Amino acid sequence: MKFFDEVKKDFNTMTWVLIPVAIAINIVMGQIVSVLRLPVYLDSIGTMLVAAICGPWAGALTGALSNTVWGLAINPDALPWWPVALLIGLVTGYCAKGGLFKSWWKVVVTGFLVALTAALSSVPISFLIYGGITGGGTGLITAFLVESGRGMVQAVFASSFLVEPVDKITTAMLAFAIAQGLSQRFLARFPRPENVVSEMGENRNQLYIAIGVVVLLVVFAAFMLRTLVGG
Amino acid sequence: MHERLSFYIKRDSLLHRLNPLTKMTLVFSLVLIAFLSPYYWTPELILPLVILPLVILAKISKEYGLTTLRLILPTAGVLFIMQALFLPGESQVLFEIWRFDVTQASLESALTNATRIVVMVSSFTIFLLTTHPSEMMSDLTHRGIPPQFAYVVISALQILPQMQAKAQTIISAQRSRGLETEGSYLKRIGVLVPLVGPLVFGSLVEVEERAIAIEARGFTSPHPKTFLRQIPDTKFDRITRTVLIALIMITLGLKIWLSLN
Repeated sequence: MKFFDEVKKDFNTMTWVLIPVAIAINIVMGQIVSVLRLPVYLDSIGTMLVAAICGPWAGALTGALSNTVWGLAINPDALPWWPVALLIGLVTGYCAKGGLFKSWWKVVVTGFLVALTAALSSVPISFLIYGGITGGGTGLITAFLVESGRGMVQAVFASSFLVEPVDKITTAMLAFAIAQGLSQRFLARFPRPENVVSEMGENRNQLYIAIGVVVLLVVFAAFMLRTLVGG
Repeated sequence: MHERLSFYIKRDSLLHRLNPLTKMTLVFSLVLIAFLSPYYWTPELILPLVILPLVILAKISKEYGLTTLRLILPTAGVLFIMQALFLPGESQVLFEIWRFDVTQASLESALTNATRIVVMVSSFTIFLLTTHPSEMMSDLTHRGIPPQFAYVVISALQILPQMQAKAQTIISAQRSRGLETEGSYLKRIGVLVPLVGPLVFGSLVEVEERAIAIEARGFTSPHPKTFLRQIPDTKFDRITRTVLIALIMITLGLKIWLSLN
C-alpha cells in the first residue's frame, strides 16, 4: 500500500491546522481581489501553499473543502466548482513534489500546468450546470466569442484558456513568495519542506531562462487559442 | 466564543429537526432531479411545488426571501439575461436589443438554465438555513467521516470572520499610510503585495501554537472518539432518504430510457 502511505505522509497535525487557515486565506484573498477590481481571482493561494509544503492530497483536500466552506458561509453558488479546486491542489502538489516549486521559472511552469487543469476541468462544469455561459467575468468573454461567430464549445474553451493562465501563474508566484518568506524552522514542521527549498542562488542565467519560459508559454497559449478559436 | 459565519437560523420546525443527512439527501435529490430530468418544465415545477412549501414548513420565509434578493436573483438574473442575449439559436428572432438577437430557442434555454440555478442555490440555502454546521459535521463524523474533516470545516468557519476583520484593518491601515487602492491596473496589482504579506504571515503565526494545543488534547489519538451530542436519526428520516434516492433513480432511468428511444 505504497500509495496510501504517500497520502498519509501529507497529513500531520501541522497540516490539519494549516488547512483551515489556508481556506480562510483563499476566501479573504478572493474578496480583497474583487474589492480591488482586478481581472483575476487569486482564490487558491492557500490551496497552492498547502499543496507545496504538505503534499498533493493535502492540497486537494484544501481545495475541495475551500469551496465547501465558501458555499456554507458566503455563497452556495461556489459549491459546484469543488472538483476544479481539488484538481488545482492535486496538480500543484505533484508539481511541487517533482521539484517544480523551487525557483521562479519552475513556479511559472507549475502555474501554467495548473491553469491547463483548471481550464479543462471547469469547462464540463460550466456546461453541465450553467449551460455554457456563466454569470461572471469569464462568462462575458464566452458570450463575446459566441457573438462573434464561434461555436459554443470553442468559446467556452477559449475563454477558460484566456483567463486561467494569468490567474494561476500569479497565484503560484504569490504562494512561492509566501513559502520563501517563512522561516526554515517553521517550514520544517510540515510534511514536505524540501519542496520549496529555493535553488536560485546567484545564477543570473535563471533570470534569462525564466524570461524565455514565459515568452514560450505565451506563444504556446496564443497558438492554442488560435487553434481552438479558428479551428 | 467568536461568532461563526453561517446562514443558520435557530427555529423549531420539522425541517430543523430532520437528520442532517436526510436534508442533504433532499438537497441532492432536488438538484439532481432538476438537472437530470428530460422534461424542461421540471425545474419550473420544483420551484413552486417543492421549494416554496419547504421554505414555509421550515418557517424561514423572511431569511429565504432576503437571500433570494441578495444572492439568488442577481446570480440567476445575470445568467438569464446573458444567455438570452448571447446563446446561439437558429430559430425565429423574437426581438432585438441593440445588436443582439433574442431568439425563441435562446430564451427557452436561458429560462431553463436560470431556473435550474435557482433550484440548486435555493435547495442549498434551505439546507444551510435549517442546519447548524457543527450539527452537520458531527453527524457526518458519527457516520464515519474522519473527525479531522469536521475540525477543518468548523475551524475555517470560525477563522473566516476574524480574518475578514484583519483584512479590513490592513486595508485601512495601508490606506492611511497613503497607499492608493484605486487607479490604474498596474497600480492596483502593486497594491496586492502590501496587503497580502501582513495578512498571510500574520495568520500563519498562530498555526504552530494551535497545533500544539490540539495535539495536547489528543487530536491525532487513534482511539475511538466519544460524542458530546447525539443527533437523532429516526425511522422517518430513513424512509425519507430511501424515497428520495428512489426518486433520483426513477429520474435517471427515465432520462436513459427516453434518450434510447
